[in-house]
Amino acid sequence: MWLIFRKELLELVRDRKTLFFMIALPLLIFPLIFGGMFYFTAKAVTDSQTKTLTYAVSGAEYAPELIAALMQVESLELKQVEGDLSDSKRVEEVIKAADVDFVLQIPSNFSNDVRANGQLILKLVLNDAQLNSVRSRIRDVTDEIEKVNQRNAFASLNISESIQEAMLDPILIEKVNLADKREQAGAQFGGLIPYFMFILCLQGAMLPAADIGAGEKERGTLETLLLSPIERHKIVLAKFLTIATAGVTSALITVLSMALWTLVVSINMPMGPLVEFISTIDWVDFILVFLMLVPVVATFASLLLTLSIYARSFKEAQGYMSPLMIFVFVPVIVTLIPGIELKGIWAWIPLTNVALAIKELVKGTMDYVQLVGIFGSSVLLAGLLLAFCVYWFKQEKVLFR
Amino acid sequence: MIVIKELAKKFKVENPKKLSEQDKKDPRLEGRFFHSVKDVSLRCETGQVLGLLGPNGAGKTTTLRMLSTALRPDSGSIMIDDVDVVASPVLARKKIGFLSGTTGLYGRLTGRENIEYFGRLNGMNEQAIKARINDIADQLDMHSFLDRRSENFSTGMKQKTSIARAVIHSPDVVVLDEPTTGLDIMAAKTVIDFIRDLKQKGVPVIFSTHHLDEVTELCDHITVIDHGLTTFDGSLADFVALSPNNLHEAFMNTLHRSEG
Repeated sequence: MWLIFRKELLELVRDRKTLFFMIALPLLIFPLIFGGMFYFTAKAVTDSQTKTLTYAVSGAEYAPELIAALMQVESLELKQVEGDLSDSKRVEEVIKAADVDFVLQIPSNFSNDVRANGQLILKLVLNDAQLNSVRSRIRDVTDEIEKVNQRNAFASLNISESIQEAMLDPILIEKVNLADKREQAGAQFGGLIPYFMFILCLQGAMLPAADIGAGEKERGTLETLLLSPIERHKIVLAKFLTIATAGVTSALITVLSMALWTLVVSINMPMGPLVEFISTIDWVDFILVFLMLVPVVATFASLLLTLSIYARSFKEAQGYMSPLMIFVFVPVIVTLIPGIELKGIWAWIPLTNVALAIKELVKGTMDYVQLVGIFGSSVLLAGLLLAFCVYWFKQEKVLFR
Repeated sequence: MIVIKELAKKFKVENPKKLSEQDKKDPRLEGRFFHSVKDVSLRCETGQVLGLLGPNGAGKTTTLRMLSTALRPDSGSIMIDDVDVVASPVLARKKIGFLSGTTGLYGRLTGRENIEYFGRLNGMNEQAIKARINDIADQLDMHSFLDRRSENFSTGMKQKTSIARAVIHSPDVVVLDEPTTGLDIMAAKTVIDFIRDLKQKGVPVIFSTHHLDEVTELCDHITVIDHGLTTFDGSLADFVALSPNNLHEAFMNTLHRSEG
């Protein structure tokens, strides 16, 4: 058995395509994609805040103070536009023609006396499909004026400062959060981690599985292997172990590369909370997470091998395998539903219980008694599937399709 | 010595609607079962080469697969010397060297690694494997490419490696399923030479083929299968005697006998 296992591994290591998916993808490509995504999103946000926008004003004569304040803002540029900008049709034309980025309509009753005029409404007309933070930029300016006006109004009413605060916000809610940082962060990210792990295990195991089963059939080497004086169940076990090894390796590499890249990034950029969060998870929990992945990988490996050996060709095998990806989503999505916890029946549903347990471990609120159910059901499922795989492998109609 | 008696094998038809018109007319289709091999008997003595003839779909491959333990017969017996192939397939596999026209190699392993792997699977020790590979490589002139990855081999190189793989464990019997089909002339010649060499060494060979010239060149004994039944089983001389001037006619005669 180990003989076959060793040979399969050797072949796997020599396969550039599989190696690429197993190592290069998680090590370089994923961080590049994610890093790139973060970089460009961040860049787009900063751009939107600093890009100079042009605007036109109607009713500028009613609020010279506001206009003056707006002129002070470097990233906003006032432009003269022909026509009557208090007319909504004209404004629409102007915006559509992109003459200016936005039009500010100031009402004729604009004044700084709150008590005399009541609430003032400034109209901001723009095409908001683009990211440009126009509103917040205008807000920055109006807030200043607003505060002064508020203070003046209160002063004229002779209201003390403490009453002023109470009037502005009569009831204030103060939150005292007793959940520690780890539990909080764990609740946020904990559901995603098993998802990534499952997918990666499956992804890493898929190509070797297709190669080792259907691939051998296609190349005509399976028949010779079957005719070797080795019992069939040993062939199955060897192939199963190879696939499982590939899956675990792939997952492990991914996790390590994530850790590595987090470190690299945290040196260059302050990523304090994330590093702190990771360092709060102790080693026992890390090892438990890993241990729980073992029956999961075993489940995947037997499923994949079963499909792969049934298929006539590599392509067919891949066709059968891709729907598996969707099935993996289901138990993981369950963990994202609020209120579903690692208790009672949920602790006995394979895959889901592991996903839930990983979440609990990350949060640091694991009920270790539940491990019995988790390991019990996962090992049972993996064992059943493997037994089926062995049975399957002995079927002539499967091998010689 | 190989003795096959009254071998039979049926396959379940999963979806009768998918069968071709020709399959539906085949007398071997009974209900939900297709009786691929109904009654095949043959005998190959030590040192003999047996040629297995028959049209496509006659049951040649099924018979050879049962002989090589890939398939399990429904009834009948297969004996190689004193080993019951049906009862103890793992033991029988050590005695059989199998090769077919579609047999492949592990492309990412070198030729040597391919052969070594099967040597180990057959329980040989490293020294014996090394010595044996050296012998075979001398014989088939393989030294120049033995340590290259087999995915880049030419057909001839591949076939030589496949042959070496099939006989690495010095089998008592060699089974070849259409070994020359799909090969170019050079590669086919390698196979023919290899069979001739086995014959000289007294190793019994059973091979199926569509090339009648190969039969006259190599075989001592001929068995014709048609529609899962043995329709001719006799020496080459008997076969030729059916139609002395034309082998193809002789072959056709054996088929007509089954119909008549």
